Amino acid sequence: MSVIQHHAFLFDATRCIDCRSCMVACSVENKIPVDKTRIWVAGVGLMGQFPNLSRASMVYHCMHCNEPDCLSACPVGAYTKRPDGPVLYNPNKCIGCRYCMNACPFGVPHFDFDKGLIEGAFIDKCTMCPQRIDIGLEPACVATCPTDALMFGERAELLSYAHDRLAAQPARYINHVYGETENGGTSYLILSHVPFNELGLPNVPSRPVKEVSEEVMGFTLPLAFGWGAVLTAVAAGVHFYNQKKEADAKKPAASERPAEGPQ
Amino acid sequence: MKMQITLHPRLHLKPLVVVLVALMGIAFIIAVVRYANGIGAISDLSNSYPWGFWVSFDLFTGIAISSGAFIIASVVYILELEQFRPLLRPTLLTGLLGYVMEVIALLVDLGHPERIWHYFIYQNYTSFLLAIGLYVMIYAAIMAIEFAPAVFERLNRQKPVQLIRRFMKPLVIIGAVISTLHQGSLGALLLIQPAKLYPLWWTPILPLLFFISSLAIGLAMTFLESSVSSRYFHRGLEIHLLEKLAKAIPIILAVYLLIKFIQLALADDLKYLFTGGWMSFLFWAEILISVVIPMVLFSLKRIRQSANGLLLGAVILLLGMILNRFNVSWFGVQHPDPLTYMPTFMGNVHYIPSLPEVLLSMGIFSAGILAFGLAVKYLPVFEPEEESHGVAP
Repeated sequence: MSVIQHHAFLFDATRCIDCRSCMVACSVENKIPVDKTRIWVAGVGLMGQFPNLSRASMVYHCMHCNEPDCLSACPVGAYTKRPDGPVLYNPNKCIGCRYCMNACPFGVPHFDFDKGLIEGAFIDKCTMCPQRIDIGLEPACVATCPTDALMFGERAELLSYAHDRLAAQPARYINHVYGETENGGTSYLILSHVPFNELGLPNVPSRPVKEVSEEVMGFTLPLAFGWGAVLTAVAAGVHFYNQKKEADAKKPAASERPAEGPQ
Repeated sequence: MKMQITLHPRLHLKPLVVVLVALMGIAFIIAVVRYANGIGAISDLSNSYPWGFWVSFDLFTGIAISSGAFIIASVVYILELEQFRPLLRPTLLTGLLGYVMEVIALLVDLGHPERIWHYFIYQNYTSFLLAIGLYVMIYAAIMAIEFAPAVFERLNRQKPVQLIRRFMKPLVIIGAVISTLHQGSLGALLLIQPAKLYPLWWTPILPLLFFISSLAIGLAMTFLESSVSSRYFHRGLEIHLLEKLAKAIPIILAVYLLIKFIQLALADDLKYLFTGGWMSFLFWAEILISVVIPMVLFSLKRIRQSANGLLLGAVILLLGMILNRFNVSWFGVQHPDPLTYMPTFMGNVHYIPSLPEVLLSMGIFSAGILAFGLAVKYLPVFEPEEESHGVAP
C-alpha cells in the first residue's frame, strides 16, 4: 500500500443509518468522557408523506480544512495542520480564549465550560486519529461504520470516487460533493440526498473565511510605520512652526520690553 | 477669560462608595466560583455562544471608551495645543483604568488566565487576538508612563518627572500608533467571521470604521468624565475646552456615516437595510443613536456651550456606539442553528447573559470608578500641571 499524501473522509448520507457506533468508537479510542463527544450525528426528522417517509442523518466532526481558520485565529499557535491532512490542537499552548470557536465556520471546536482552573478547561475536537492513521489504520469512526457510510483514504481518490457515485446514480444524490471546494476544500467530503444545510452544514464560500482577516493583517506593519511617520512629521512641523512664531513675536517685542523681570 | 462653571455635587459620595465596594465583593465571589467550577458555572456561555457579554462589554466597549487618552495626548503633544492640557491627566487616567479593567476581565474570561505569558512565547502572527493582546499590554504600559509624572509629583521626585517629559513626544506618537491599531484590530476580530456576522456590519473596512468611531467615543467619554468629575469632585468644568473639541464630533460622525453607507452600497448590502427584520432594526437604532442624534446635538452651539448639553450629547453618543459594539460583537453574529445539528451537550440554544456574568463586569467597572476616585483624591490629577520650564512652587 502506498503512503497516503492527503488523508480524507468521504461520508455518504444516503448510507448512514444513525446507529451512532462512530460516536462510541471515537470516544473509546480517544478516551473521551461519557458526557462529551468529538462526533455528533446531526439529523433531520421524518420527511415526506406516508408511506414515502424518509430520514437523513450525518456524522458531524472536524472538517480538517485545507486552510484551517482555527489555525489562523489562534493567538498562541495551538493549532497545526499536518501536510497529510489532520488539523491538530495542542492543549499545552491553549490559553482558553475560544477565538477558534468563533473562527470555525462549521462550529466544530468545543470547550470545557464545566471545568475550573484545577481540572483545566480545554478545547476539544476530532484529530483524525493520528495514532491510528500513522500505522496505516483508518480512524476509529471509519473502521467501525457498519454501512460504509464513512470511508477513508487519499483525498483525490475519494473525490473521484464520489463523483463516480454522483454520475452513476444522479437521482439518488444532490449533485455536489460538499467539502470539495467549501472553505478552500476540506478533508471531509460529503454526499447527500437532502440539501446540505438541512444536515446542519453552513453555506460556506470556496474562499477560506480567514483570507480577508489575513490580508488586513498584512497592512499592520506598513500602517504602523506610515502612521508613525505622519504623526512624527506633524509633530515636528507644528513644533517648528510654533518656535518660529514665538521667535517672530519676540523680535520686535525684545527692544520694547527690556525691563521685564528675569524669566 | 476662562469660563469656569462649578456644579454642585448632586450625590453624597459615601453611599456610592459602599455600593461600589459591595459590587466588587460580589464580583470577587463570582470570580472564585468561576475559577473553581468553570465558566459555565456562572455564565450562560456555551459551545453555541463561546463569546458573550464579557467580550462585548469589557473588551469592545472598555477599549473603545478608553480612546480619549490617545486623542487628548495627541492634541497636547503632537498638535501642541497647550490649552487642552487640563484635560490630559483625567483622560489618561480614564484610559489607563479602562485598560487595566479590561485585563482583569480578560483574566476571568480566559480559560487559562495563568498562561497569559504564552502571548510572549507562542505567537501566531495571523491572529488579530494576538495583536490585540499585545496592544493592550504595550499601550497600558505607555499610558502608565505618561501618567507617572502625577505620581512622582506627589512624591516630590523631580528627576523622573523631567526624564519622562523629555521622552514624552515620541512616547505619545508611539502610543497614538498602537492605539490606532488597537481600536482598528477590535473590528478586525470579526473579519474571520464573514459567514457569521450579519452583512450590515461585516465589511473588510470594519477596522477603519472602528477607528473613526473610536475618535468620537473618546471625545464623548472625555465630556462624560469631565461632567461627572465636576459634579462629584467639586471642580470646575473646562467648558471652553470641551466646546472646541465638541465641534469635531459632527465632522467625525459625518465621515463615519458616509463611509458606512458608501461601503454598504459598494458591497450591494443596502438591500438588508429594510429586509433584515430584527437586524435592520438594530442597525437603524444604532445609526440613529450613535450618529444622527449626536451629530445634530453637537452641531448646536447652545448644546456645546452648556454643561448639561455636553453631558446629554456625550451619553447619547456613547450609548449608540456601545450598541454598535454590541451589534458587531454579539447581536449581529449569527450562530449556527443548534436545532439542526448541535447535540444537547453542546449547550444552550439561546444566550441570555446570566446575572453573575453581568455582576462580574459591574464589579470590575466599580473597581475602576473607585480607583479613579482614589487617584483624584491622592494624586494631582486635576491640579494644573507644573510646567517643565517653570519654577516649582
